[in-house]
Amino acid sequence: MLRLAARRLLGLVPTLFVIVTLSFFVIRLAPGGPFDDEQTLPPEIKANLEAAYGLDQPVATQYLRYLQSLSHGDFGPSFKFKDFSVTELIGQGLPLSLTLGLAAVLLALALGVPLGAFAALRQNGALDYSVMAFAVLGVALPGFVIGPLLALVFGLHLRWLPVAGWSPGEWRYLVLPALTLALPVIAYIARLTRGSLLEVLRSNFVRTARAKGLPERIVLWRHAIRPALLPVVSYLGPASAFVMTGSLVVETVFGLPGSGRYLVQGAINRDYTLVMGMIIVYGSLMLVLNLIADLLYGWLDPRVRYE
Amino acid sequence: MKESLLEIDHLSVRYPAPGGDIAAVNDFSLNLVAGECVGIVGESGAGKSQALLAAMGLLPRHARVAGSIRYGGAPFTRELRGRRVAMIFQDPMTSLTPHLRVGAQIAESLTHHLRLSGAAARARALELLRQVQVTDAERRLDQYPHELSGGMRQRVMIAIALACNPEVLIADEPTTALDVTVQAQILALLAGLKRERGMAVVIVTHDLGVVAGVADRVLVMYGGRLVESGAVADLLTTPRHPYSRALLRSMPRIDDPLDGPLHTIAGQPPSPARLPTGCAFHPRCERASDVCRSRFPALAAGRTDVACHHPVEDA
Repeated sequence: MLRLAARRLLGLVPTLFVIVTLSFFVIRLAPGGPFDDEQTLPPEIKANLEAAYGLDQPVATQYLRYLQSLSHGDFGPSFKFKDFSVTELIGQGLPLSLTLGLAAVLLALALGVPLGAFAALRQNGALDYSVMAFAVLGVALPGFVIGPLLALVFGLHLRWLPVAGWSPGEWRYLVLPALTLALPVIAYIARLTRGSLLEVLRSNFVRTARAKGLPERIVLWRHAIRPALLPVVSYLGPASAFVMTGSLVVETVFGLPGSGRYLVQGAINRDYTLVMGMIIVYGSLMLVLNLIADLLYGWLDPRVRYE
Repeated sequence: MKESLLEIDHLSVRYPAPGGDIAAVNDFSLNLVAGECVGIVGESGAGKSQALLAAMGLLPRHARVAGSIRYGGAPFTRELRGRRVAMIFQDPMTSLTPHLRVGAQIAESLTHHLRLSGAAARARALELLRQVQVTDAERRLDQYPHELSGGMRQRVMIAIALACNPEVLIADEPTTALDVTVQAQILALLAGLKRERGMAVVIVTHDLGVVAGVADRVLVMYGGRLVESGAVADLLTTPRHPYSRALLRSMPRIDDPLDGPLHTIAGQPPSPARLPTGCAFHPRCERASDVCRSRFPALAAGRTDVACHHPVEDA
């Protein structure tokens, strides 16, 4: 299992290389450059700036230079946040964004799976209908609607949690953002779990387990739950992508100093190195999370284990 | 008179549906005594499997089951399943839990019902695999179901069923999904095990050859009802119900002329959602009369017990 994981991890390198190459050229296809909107800039100074950052070179040369510095683990300097390297900028916000994202995914699993399972076990009961109604709402409402609503109720009216903002080490500031981010994922996971558990409970091997005279509790936990979780695990990859992009909005709504804003700002500013840095970091995260989902899948279902 | 084990009385199974209930089983009774082998035959949808699944309490929750199911004089309970009454199914490919090792799936009945320790259960599981003639049994214990062939999986199912030395084994079309040579092996295995252990066996099949080979008594079902029952020797040589007779005639015989036609029963078996009135067989029956269309005939005792207004009498 460990050797398999290591080999699969190594296999991510070419994928990452493709991501780097594609995004490098795509960004440069976008009109404008990092120093275009500073209207007062005399042409000579602009030319000097571009020479200093190597932007006067042919794109191919720029690409090779970028790869070279990347191979030393250097994302280069930011074009817009003068005196900051991209590594410093991302390093400031990433721990908070990661904590938020991880909290949201864990929350989604911890609430979505039990909700879906209870709904399946009480199929067509009141609990089932409430869970499914909640699931439809959760999937339909976007984060920028849910976030302010939650802040209104729990922050302003009930005064249980801070409305927005951040103070290092204070988990209370993370509760509402994580919940906002997790809500649609909770809803989707609940639906997935319910549907697949209902199907598994009708399957022949569950009938065999019941024919053995085992109590329903053992039938559920030993025989039914693992196959029922397969679709949920498949969804973890897309779910983490959703959480990552969703965190851009949620960090803005709740005023959290995460790294999400650098992606948007960097893209608007044509801050090439910053955007590339964010793409590489988020891209690697996505790849690793998908790999984890794959390995989990193999644990749940021996038929898909590779040799 | 031998002791009664499984007593099924006036069992009916219905499924509520928008356009009127679907009647899967109607007024089915069976009294199984120790050590005997009963074959249940009939076409698809005749209610054979439904009746037995209902007796085991294995039908989905929305099924409406009425009638009495008793075991050894007391009501049938979950704890009897796997312990006294075991069941094997039609489709061995999907009847084993995919993520659990074969050994663990056999052992769990033993730890649950007989309170065996892990090691003792494993040793017994190995012994069981050998009894059902699984090759390389020791290695199989730690394999997953998908690593075994269909025939092997059905043997594992049988090993699971036999784990707690049940008094009754219900085999629901145990060979339907297997290829012909494997079918013969599995049937020989079942017949041998029955003889050694003196288990009562109920075998559901649509293969009359199987019944002739292993059963003492045959029940014929049609449209969810029992239409004829009797000793194998009587029923398979001179059946009294026109349906049983037609079913038998549809079996090609080795002494039939090679270029002669295959006998078939005209029409289709009825859908349980729209059973014909009266005797469900009347639209396909050459002896049908008005009374057949309006009233279901009661099961009447005779050389064989038959539910027919116009049974075929001995010629």
